Amino acid sequence: MIQKSVIMHFPRTLVDKPIISHLVRNCDVEVNILQAHISPDEDGHLFAILKGGRNEIRNALAYLQENGVRAILPAKNLVWDEKKCTHCGACVGQCLPSAFAVDAATRKVVFDAQRCIACELCIPACSYGAIESINENLRRKGEL
Amino acid sequence: MPKTFEEINDKIRRKQAVVVTAEEMIRIVDEKGPARAAKEVDVVTTATFGPMCSSGALLNVGHTNPRMKIQRAWLNGVPAGGGLAAVDVYVGATALPEDDPCNRVFPGQFQYGGAHVIEDLVSGKDVSFRATAYGTDCYPRTSLETMLNMKDLNTAMLMNPRNSYQNYNVAVNVSGTRPLYTYMGILLPKMANANFCSAGQLSPLLKDPNYRTIGIGTRIFIGGSAGYVFYQGTQHNPGVARGDNGIPRGGAGTLAVIGDMKRMSPNFLRAVSITGYGVSLSVGIGIPIPILDEDMARCTAVKDSEIFAPVVDYSEDYPQLKGKPLGHVSYAELRSGTITAGGKRIRTAALSSYPKAVEIAGMLKDWISRGEFLLGRPVDTIPGAESGIVFKPLNMRPPKKPPVGGR
Repeated sequence: MIQKSVIMHFPRTLVDKPIISHLVRNCDVEVNILQAHISPDEDGHLFAILKGGRNEIRNALAYLQENGVRAILPAKNLVWDEKKCTHCGACVGQCLPSAFAVDAATRKVVFDAQRCIACELCIPACSYGAIESINENLRRKGEL
Repeated sequence: MPKTFEEINDKIRRKQAVVVTAEEMIRIVDEKGPARAAKEVDVVTTATFGPMCSSGALLNVGHTNPRMKIQRAWLNGVPAGGGLAAVDVYVGATALPEDDPCNRVFPGQFQYGGAHVIEDLVSGKDVSFRATAYGTDCYPRTSLETMLNMKDLNTAMLMNPRNSYQNYNVAVNVSGTRPLYTYMGILLPKMANANFCSAGQLSPLLKDPNYRTIGIGTRIFIGGSAGYVFYQGTQHNPGVARGDNGIPRGGAGTLAVIGDMKRMSPNFLRAVSITGYGVSLSVGIGIPIPILDEDMARCTAVKDSEIFAPVVDYSEDYPQLKGKPLGHVSYAELRSGTITAGGKRIRTAALSSYPKAVEIAGMLKDWISRGEFLLGRPVDTIPGAESGIVFKPLNMRPPKKPPVGGR
């Protein structure tokens, strides 16, 4: 069993197709949707964690590609700029899955990308602008 | 045998002073006791780094040709005022551009304000400067648009009327309705989190609780350079309830501090955009405490478990200026990640950076150990608990119609 974070970009022509339903029923992967923006006559995007066997995930990604869905596999669900971070820990209080935590020895903030569920509650909590959503980061770099 | 400031400064000049950080002092006093620690240690360095709204920059921009008595001014669109002499302007850390949407789209983002101007200047960036005036015979110019850079300014003082709070509230949101966006960060409903803002056992005024050595003229680390305490801060409130160890059990003493911005670093002066609240400036402050005697050794070794802060509701009690704290918790509990208050276990988070405070205390220790930073003996003390100072709310009265002529 592996899991992969995927940002799916749907051209507007696909918005009425049951793509996610196909991934679940025919590719046998679990789809945990973290964020979605879908509306008629507009390009849509969906940020999800796919969970399943290695082959099933590969098939799911191939299915997306065949059907014209652009799939981006971000390394992280969130971008933490440690240079801007002052290690105050304001993010920690908002982070329920404890992806952000304070290291007991150094008292510095540490980030475990594996635990991040991209709820993004930490972003407005960081007064130093050290946390950016993956969507915003990719958009700023022109990759989305 | 008590030591004097002069004796300690002599040792610093000879590079023989024993200087430790407040964290190290805790261990030393634990091992050796306060009497021996007082003999062995000369200076304990303390520090704090966190948002301090009552901060600002006093700039002298130099005279224009023809001269101008600036009436209104904007730095990168942020209003700077002061009502001072011709080309002196003061930009407050929390000032916002007049066209900032503020909280009209809630919660506001407050992306740029006075603190950002200060950080930009300290970073050596050019800042746009616009000013208007009514014009006089001696100062005829009425408008100005130019760029400013720190290196061109005659004077750039960071002049903060209230910094380095001695202890502070722990903020929670008792209401069950919505998250609160406060200067104490985002507070989730039903007390789902608690935010605090103090360096605790490293914080300067918590290590000199009765202001024996920190006073007017104390030389300090501010924003990465040397500066001074110039008075007690605004809202200085030494008379709050104290524990048996003399430590205030809530926000108490404050300091007014000053320093030369030209020698400061953006590592220790950082603008913050507090969602739904506004802009503020995180200031790094370090204060050396001379170990004059056993009492100062004991005070500087007080640890997080012995310092208590009040848990305050920010949904009703704080904004409505009423109510009592839900309880008191120690900084050791706050740093553990959870506290218990109002019968509930609550996740905690700090707004003040402990690692930055450790860094500053370490830098100050190095400066003093190398003989580069002498202690400033206060020319006067700041008022203590015995002063009878009472921190009053505003006495609100019905306004009177101003007489003709506005006087």
